[in-house]
Amino acid sequence: MLTKDLLRYKTQNGQIHPQFVKPTDTTLLAIAEQLIAVFEESLDKPRATLLETSKHIIDSTPGAPIIKRGLEKLLLDRTEFDTTPNEELIAFRQKFFTETSRLLSQEQFENYADYAQAAYGLAGQCKMFGTMTEEPRSEAVPTEMEDLTAKLYEDLPSHQPILAFKTLSAEHLLHRYNTAQVQGVLLHSNSLTLKLADSMTAELRQLFKYLRFNQLLSTIRKEEELYQITVDGPLNLFYKTKRYGMNLANFFIAVLHQPRWELTAEVQFRNKQRYQLFLDESCGIKPIAQQFLAYIPEDIQLFQTMLRNKTDDWQIRPGSQFIPLPGDLYCFPDYQLVHKSGIETSIELFHPWHQGHLIARLSTLAEQRDVSLILGVSKELEKNPLIAEALAASAYFSQFGFTFRDVPTIRTLLPILNSLV
Amino acid sequence: MSSPLKINFDKGTLILQNIPETLQTRLPDIRWDERTLTFRAPAYRYRHIVSQLRAHDIAYQDTAREFTVKSFTHEKTMSPYSYQTEAIDAWHANGKRGVVSLPTGAGKTFIAILLIADTQRPTLVHVPTIDLMNQWYTVLKEHFGQEVGLYGGGYHELKDLTVTTYQSAVMHAPYYGNRFGFAIFDECHHLPSDQYQYAAISSIAPFRLGLTATPERTDGKESRLYTLVGEPCYEAKVQELSGKTLSEYRVVTIAVEMEDTERVRYEEARRAYLNFLKQERINMGTPRGWHHFLWKASQTDEGRTAFKAYLAQKQLSFASTTKQEWVWKLIQRHRGDRILIFTQDNDTAYQLGKRFFLPVLTHQTKLKERNDFLNKFRDGTYSILVTSKVLNEGVDVPEANVGIIVSGSGSVREHVQRLGRILRKQEGKQAVLYELISKQTGEHYVNKRRRQHDAYQPSNRTPIFK
Repeated sequence: MLTKDLLRYKTQNGQIHPQFVKPTDTTLLAIAEQLIAVFEESLDKPRATLLETSKHIIDSTPGAPIIKRGLEKLLLDRTEFDTTPNEELIAFRQKFFTETSRLLSQEQFENYADYAQAAYGLAGQCKMFGTMTEEPRSEAVPTEMEDLTAKLYEDLPSHQPILAFKTLSAEHLLHRYNTAQVQGVLLHSNSLTLKLADSMTAELRQLFKYLRFNQLLSTIRKEEELYQITVDGPLNLFYKTKRYGMNLANFFIAVLHQPRWELTAEVQFRNKQRYQLFLDESCGIKPIAQQFLAYIPEDIQLFQTMLRNKTDDWQIRPGSQFIPLPGDLYCFPDYQLVHKSGIETSIELFHPWHQGHLIARLSTLAEQRDVSLILGVSKELEKNPLIAEALAASAYFSQFGFTFRDVPTIRTLLPILNSLV
Repeated sequence: MSSPLKINFDKGTLILQNIPETLQTRLPDIRWDERTLTFRAPAYRYRHIVSQLRAHDIAYQDTAREFTVKSFTHEKTMSPYSYQTEAIDAWHANGKRGVVSLPTGAGKTFIAILLIADTQRPTLVHVPTIDLMNQWYTVLKEHFGQEVGLYGGGYHELKDLTVTTYQSAVMHAPYYGNRFGFAIFDECHHLPSDQYQYAAISSIAPFRLGLTATPERTDGKESRLYTLVGEPCYEAKVQELSGKTLSEYRVVTIAVEMEDTERVRYEEARRAYLNFLKQERINMGTPRGWHHFLWKASQTDEGRTAFKAYLAQKQLSFASTTKQEWVWKLIQRHRGDRILIFTQDNDTAYQLGKRFFLPVLTHQTKLKERNDFLNKFRDGTYSILVTSKVLNEGVDVPEANVGIIVSGSGSVREHVQRLGRILRKQEGKQAVLYELISKQTGEHYVNKRRRQHDAYQPSNRTPIFK
């Protein structure tokens, strides 16, 4: 992600507009390519050398430095440095500083040069380093007087070598840059509202996975043909908090996968004025995360196999559409099941971190007599006395609910399914 | 029969169910949450809510609280000073909440140890740095002789006594905020920041203690601290304890002349920087001045040049050749003493470390070597330690008796903290803090700003060296 000093935006009439780059800008694409090449070719080189070379590109190419430094930052985020401690150098320092401390506290020097000479001498006397005298001289231990100053702290981050770099195309980097501009703004937001068309299924599933993964809360309502999803965190009820800014910024990646979307968020930098961020799919940012639309998650595959082994009557597939609930609310289930007779039902799973959601769902379905949703609750969650009591008291759950340990089992689910036919 | 009122902990908040209508407006900070169709309150309101329920004799089912009374046996037998006893009594009298302000070296940690033993609740200690986390870990282990958990800096282990960093607590308190009955906030002036406050908000701990040398903040947010931790309940000033429980001390300011060549480079860089400020109409005297400058400087090549000029003039005043000569003189003058050398930035710290072949402690120093440096300084193997900012706060180096500030910020707090590093009482110790100030540079004004503290009252000041 980009730090605040690398964000580019304009504010006008209470609106904030991130300043995107054109992913087709040939000059910028060429610069991005150069920067990527520098990172690709810097394996095993120290961080300082990499930064020096990329700085040269930033300084010598046309265009705003802030954009180029932003690209550099995104590439650095994809770079892994060797942070393993240089034990040999650390051991050398321990012994050397013991000696210099002794010199400084016990001996009087006429001037600095005399002290430096004495210290150089100590560093050069490998004999004083115990076991090191028995071993071949290492590159890491300076013995030449001239090297001493340079090598004394040669394990600082600027000297760390590059272990790996996850490369990408120049165009992809520019899309990432635009995404990071939005994410950088969302870091300073307290909630966001998303309007989605009820169409694509795999993308929606991914969106809700991101939502849950980022520990956010949502309220889903239908407004004409669009679903309106308000996303924030538990404490938003009390504070205009940016506590969930990082979660919202991460969540934005899933928004990009939706074919039609509108996003609004309130943004506030420190204690300054508040701005509205408005974006929709016309911003043209391509999704930056790998998408596995054709991919069927392992848990679904396992569930499908288990179900097939037990019965041919039901087909299971990942959740693909919103389910209307009482009170003008909606939920997005984990699985949907279809009986050969055409009867359809859905399952929503509640894991240990979905306590608040479960209480809400039980409350929503309390008066419901017809099944709209089967509830699967983690046994871990059931350990909470409050939850256990709520489940025991729920007539809906006793009829249309089950508990599971790691993944739902067909043994517990099948009786409920059969009762629907 | 109606269902009993239920309180549960959920992601740093409390979920309340079956609240009688008459009570819905009387419980502090509870709100209806449409997202979960429950009443909700911030976790830190737990004590107030439970107190209200008890006061109204309302039965409730509490599944929020996941801690019970724990017996902590205090293994070290040490007697508190009278002011420490006063602080402890004041905290109890304040309802087992509140902020204790004592100068560095006056034994705030010991007060916390005694209060942990008193309150007998699982305790979470919040600290701003990894160094302080390690120090608290050692102290708690020594005093209570039991396993101590660490959360932060790569550790994820919760015990009845646990130390965490503020940063880690912000992220994880929503999950474990109901497991501790006593929350201690060391260097608690950090707590009211935009993010750190959620470490306290997301915890239900009814008993809370804030420890600091100076609770005041430049942004005036200390009132937030008092809301979350409790009102100030005890304060003692540095002069009150100097010579008694703190060492006697002197502050010596040395005005240093730059070498001619450096002076020319300094003037040139400063002129370029000031011209840019003027041209862009940036007023560095305003609270937003610095951000304004950073923003403008990042927009154009000219701005970038101005920023480089800013860094250059600052670096020259921070680490001039003459300052290094003064460092050498002072090292020689204090042969046999335990000296801490402070710098404003890491570059200067390493520059000095390389020049004088000294151990340098910065946030870049790996944990193992960091502990090794501190231990060797404490046991006298190393007589001098160079550091930038990591030793500003809390880390205990009682043996240090000489401080040399080669460069620093205008922060009064930072200066008082640095002074505090050399004030811990030892038999016959006379502490001295040197400030090296480059003459006729911006540092002069920076120095003037940071002296606005009562620790710098006239009796402790030595005239500026000419």
